[in-house]
Amino acid sequence: MTDDRDKMGEGEVPLEPFPTHRPDSPFPPLYESLPAQTPADPPSDWIQSADAHDLPTRESKLAALGRFAFPPAPPLDDEGVAARDMRWTSRTLVIATAFLLVFNAVSPLNWSHQQAPGWVSETVEKVSEAWVGQLALLGVDMPRRGLRDAWFAAKDARFVGQEPAPPRADTP
Amino acid sequence: MLFPTLAFGVFFLFVYFTTWSLDRENGRRKLFLLLASWFFYAQWDWRFVGLLILSAVLNWAIAALIARRMERDGPQARRAWLVGLGVAANLLILGFFKYYGFFIEQAGDLLARFGWERDLPLLQVVLPVGISFFTFQGISYVVDVHRGKTPPAKSLLDVMLLMSFFPHLVAGPIVRASDLLPQFERAPRLTREMATHGLLLICWGLFKKTVIASELSVNLVDPVFFDPSAHSAVDIAAAVYGYAVQIYCDFSAYSDMAIGIAALLGYSFPRNFDQPYRASSMQSFWRRWHISLSSWLRDYLYVPLGGGRKGLFASCINVFITMVLGGLWHGAAWTFLAWGALHGGVQVIERLGRAVFGDRKIMPTVLGVLITFHIVCLGWILFRAETFELAMAMLAGLGRIGPVTMLTPLLLTLIVGGLAMHWLPPRAIEGVAERLKTAPSITLGLLIGIAILLVEAVRPEGVAPFIYFQF
Repeated sequence: MTDDRDKMGEGEVPLEPFPTHRPDSPFPPLYESLPAQTPADPPSDWIQSADAHDLPTRESKLAALGRFAFPPAPPLDDEGVAARDMRWTSRTLVIATAFLLVFNAVSPLNWSHQQAPGWVSETVEKVSEAWVGQLALLGVDMPRRGLRDAWFAAKDARFVGQEPAPPRADTP
Repeated sequence: MLFPTLAFGVFFLFVYFTTWSLDRENGRRKLFLLLASWFFYAQWDWRFVGLLILSAVLNWAIAALIARRMERDGPQARRAWLVGLGVAANLLILGFFKYYGFFIEQAGDLLARFGWERDLPLLQVVLPVGISFFTFQGISYVVDVHRGKTPPAKSLLDVMLLMSFFPHLVAGPIVRASDLLPQFERAPRLTREMATHGLLLICWGLFKKTVIASELSVNLVDPVFFDPSAHSAVDIAAAVYGYAVQIYCDFSAYSDMAIGIAALLGYSFPRNFDQPYRASSMQSFWRRWHISLSSWLRDYLYVPLGGGRKGLFASCINVFITMVLGGLWHGAAWTFLAWGALHGGVQVIERLGRAVFGDRKIMPTVLGVLITFHIVCLGWILFRAETFELAMAMLAGLGRIGPVTMLTPLLLTLIVGGLAMHWLPPRAIEGVAERLKTAPSITLGLLIGIAILLVEAVRPEGVAPFIYFQF
């Protein structure tokens, strides 16, 4: 849509940034090849309040090809959203479990020591001992050990005038 | 099988993944949850699974009969005797397992006092874990169906799962049929909000139980309450404040974890605690402490007694009776009755004060909070002590000068921290969950892992059962 003021020659700067009419051409042959009546342009979707910085940037051809080859999925319905959230939660639980299996590897070992002797507890104990030993070589037990030492140091602290804490038998 | 143990962690992961793999088949899902709940309960004593089933069948049958009568004869149908039968049957089960020994013992003492000594049939009755909770649930289901507040369950499976669902089975919160039955009717959906909130509640509960409550219990409260005469006033006061923090951190931790575990399975439980030590009156305290019990007592005891409908005097009597029976619910001992009477008595005084002064503020809020907290602490002495003599010894010890041997800087920090957490923003965990729900799963997974590692690194070996398991 052409700006009215511009069409009437009242100003050089159009109010709308994309005037859709053609300016007068200094080249007569080209001008003659144009149809006498140009068809009306479709209405502009320009938003007056928008900022020029909001304009879409040119998309790379590779991205355009990618979008063509792998078109985005349609928006999820409620069931899809629920399934996606459930997968997200499951991943979170798996990651937390894996993290603890590495950094808190001693926990199954301690558990096995508290159980009555049996096939399950002995199997867990043997597997855990190997696992804990191998991880200790990498030093991944250090964070837990450091936290535990700091905690016991805090436990052993006493007010002025109190007797010192008795020696303790530490567990891993 | 306690929540903060490795065994429960493995059990829960198995239940979680299996349950959600049955997502499309709600009936099978519920059946699996029921079997898992029975397995969970059987870890304490498999024989009482039968009691759980019996109780569920009983309540289902009576509620179905009530509903059929109402359908046939309309709302005016004569069904009071059915409700009475249902309530009496539930109370009979509870009374036998929980109060039989106590009443027989008291009856024997009473007869001996009048010179009629008899050999009464004393039995060593083992108390099933969580019997008070599932019995109260059964009563509320039958009464709610009678009152027309909730429709009868569509199947026996729903009632069984309502009463046996493992997150709330052994120590509440008391989840009513109107809360849970509608959720059982269709397969639940898990949202990021629920999952994040649930995971945070589990971590927070783990911290409160295994770090704060366990540490205070083992190193301060238990030794001082065992022999108050061996300790000075400072240690005894610290033990009393410590117990106030311990019981809050212990019980609210269970509720938090129960709500969190249920949320991860797609179900929503009501809130059970709301920063109780911020209360500036005893009435306010009971709106913040064990909310599911206090609202149960209100709806199924205080209101049927007449509530506040028959004037000030009657309402005071009703409040007092309700609180005394609430005390008795906690256990078959005179100290629990005295605890209930203390809470009831203070509420009566508050009620009379409001009748005289109206809504005028007669003291600053800070003073109200301090007074209420110390009355609650006085009650905790009765609650924790096995006998009145021990409770009196604790009170007498508050005047004893001597060296401080039990209280350490760490224990003082835990007490102060346990009280200070009441002044966190009221919905702090929801706020954090709201921010974290948009995080990638790897970020949240690592954060949860780190939080559990922190707790695991400092927790003592083994963990004591939750205090409310005995109720």
